[in-house]
Amino acid sequence: MKFADFVSTEAIQADLVAEDKDGVIREMVQSLLDAGGVQEEEFESIIKAILKREELGSTGIGRGVAVPHTKHPSVDRLVGTVAVSREGVDFQSLDGEKVHLFFLLISPPDRPGDHLRALENISRQLRNDTFCRFLKQSKSADDIRQLLEEADNNQFGA
Amino acid sequence: MRVVVLGAGTVGASVAEMLCQHGHSVTVVDHNPGVARRVNDELDVRAVSGSAAQSSVLFQAGVMDSDLCLALTGSDEGNMIAASIAKAMGARRAVARVYAPVFRDLSTFDYQRHLKIDRLLSLEHLSAMELARKIREPGSLAIESFAHGNLEMQELAVAKATAAVGVPLRELKLPKAVRVGSILRGGKLMIADAGEKVMVGDRVTLIGAREDIDDVKSRFDVETPQKRGIVIAGGGETGYHLARVLEGPRFAIVLIEADRGRCDFLASHLKQTTVVHCDVQRRADLEEERVGSADVFVACTGDDENNIMACVEARELGAKKTAALVGRPDYANVVGKLGIDETVSPREVVARQVLGFLNTGPVIFRNALLWGGGIEILEVEVVAGAPVTEHVLANVDLPPQCLVAAVIHESYVRVPGADDRLKPGDTAIVFAGDESVDGALALFQTNGRAS
Repeated sequence: MKFADFVSTEAIQADLVAEDKDGVIREMVQSLLDAGGVQEEEFESIIKAILKREELGSTGIGRGVAVPHTKHPSVDRLVGTVAVSREGVDFQSLDGEKVHLFFLLISPPDRPGDHLRALENISRQLRNDTFCRFLKQSKSADDIRQLLEEADNNQFGA
Repeated sequence: MRVVVLGAGTVGASVAEMLCQHGHSVTVVDHNPGVARRVNDELDVRAVSGSAAQSSVLFQAGVMDSDLCLALTGSDEGNMIAASIAKAMGARRAVARVYAPVFRDLSTFDYQRHLKIDRLLSLEHLSAMELARKIREPGSLAIESFAHGNLEMQELAVAKATAAVGVPLRELKLPKAVRVGSILRGGKLMIADAGEKVMVGDRVTLIGAREDIDDVKSRFDVETPQKRGIVIAGGGETGYHLARVLEGPRFAIVLIEADRGRCDFLASHLKQTTVVHCDVQRRADLEEERVGSADVFVACTGDDENNIMACVEARELGAKKTAALVGRPDYANVVGKLGIDETVSPREVVARQVLGFLNTGPVIFRNALLWGGGIEILEVEVVAGAPVTEHVLANVDLPPQCLVAAVIHESYVRVPGADDRLKPGDTAIVFAGDESVDGALALFQTNGRAS
């Protein structure tokens, strides 16, 4: 599965304002809402579900990356977005590092296979240091879009 | 019915005994031959010794034509594997006991679905729900066990005439996600239909998400009861779930935990609870935390004796009501004599759940609405070809005194509206008056019709 298959390009944010975990998730779901990826009446319910998942263990997987995610019955296909925080956010990551790169994923409960493939794709691509470094340095949503496209075309050799 | 119980520990053995008393045919599996032999001698069951996760052992125990297989060993992973294999081998229903909350969360991975198990039960969660039910105002209960915590049922007493009183429910424009379940009026419990009016003096149950329920409550101008002080001793899984479900405007909660690391976890996960690091076995600590002024003191550490002692101390210090988690049946007698008001036994809680799973046809679980009687809560599988799937709910010929209160689709719960249609694979939560149960269930049965 490729980033293009689930990342909502209009929702990408190159400069997150939020400074804490709740805020980041809220801001990213808001951008998905603005981009039409999720329904307004489900906004709070989605945020609650993502935060509930975080309670079981942070999705901060180390090296400045976090993958907050949930399943939610209100979406009929995988929706996701990418955001970058310049300052970094304390996300209770495994390695204690601040998180700069966020990949948020919401998927329909009856497609568990797609959900896992998307998570797998994200983790695999993010093992590549060059990709991570470029993402962190990106100045605009367009930069991020281009990087995701390059990753989809295996230009980072992942 | 035929039941296979995997694991003859405290929980497994007591469930097996209870099932025997109810006249079911029980086979118990335990990896320890000595334990299996003892169970065989003491109870009227067949005992098999061996690993519950091995197909040969399960075969010997007869899971193939069992109505229910209960995996109740002390190992989460072992239980899940065993239940999954039992189901694949032909057990009609398979239930696994798990401790770790992560197994009941599906945001990253759906264990229950992947393993094709009918239910993952957490004893600690169930015990917490039972304690919560006893602590809340009488009659108010959470039905979290049905709905993964997404749905709640609450009772409200209508004390005075507001704009919403005396108006037919269909005209009230209540939030879509809340249903009025039952109304208790003049000692009679009934299920409310859309034409029903709520009257002063009624006790009304509401079903829905907690926030939506609060919204509806305000329409009936229910006075917020005075905030009650709850002290919970023991921040294990049970104490944690208990604090979580009680958090809200009605309770001021103090949670006492002796382990420093666990305190950090609790403090970061319970936003509205005061977490205190101290030892419940020390009277000075209890005094310091003002246990004496608590409305309710709950002891739910993992140790019966400590729970009983802590409650006795708390009562002496002045706590108005005490409740303890007590596992050993031998203590039941003495607990009352010591003046402990409420006890919850995880074994009894799980036993009640287990009985609910012994059903025929599409019924997964059934239970009486906990107070008064007269109404049953049924959790029913929606199968292809069942009459109930043929129309939107408004056009389904439900018997009187019957309500489809909630629909669970892929583990997500919603309160259905009149134009919702049940789909095969859904699970429906149905409220039905005693006389309507059979009629309601007929709608969920195919009776051999082509699907």
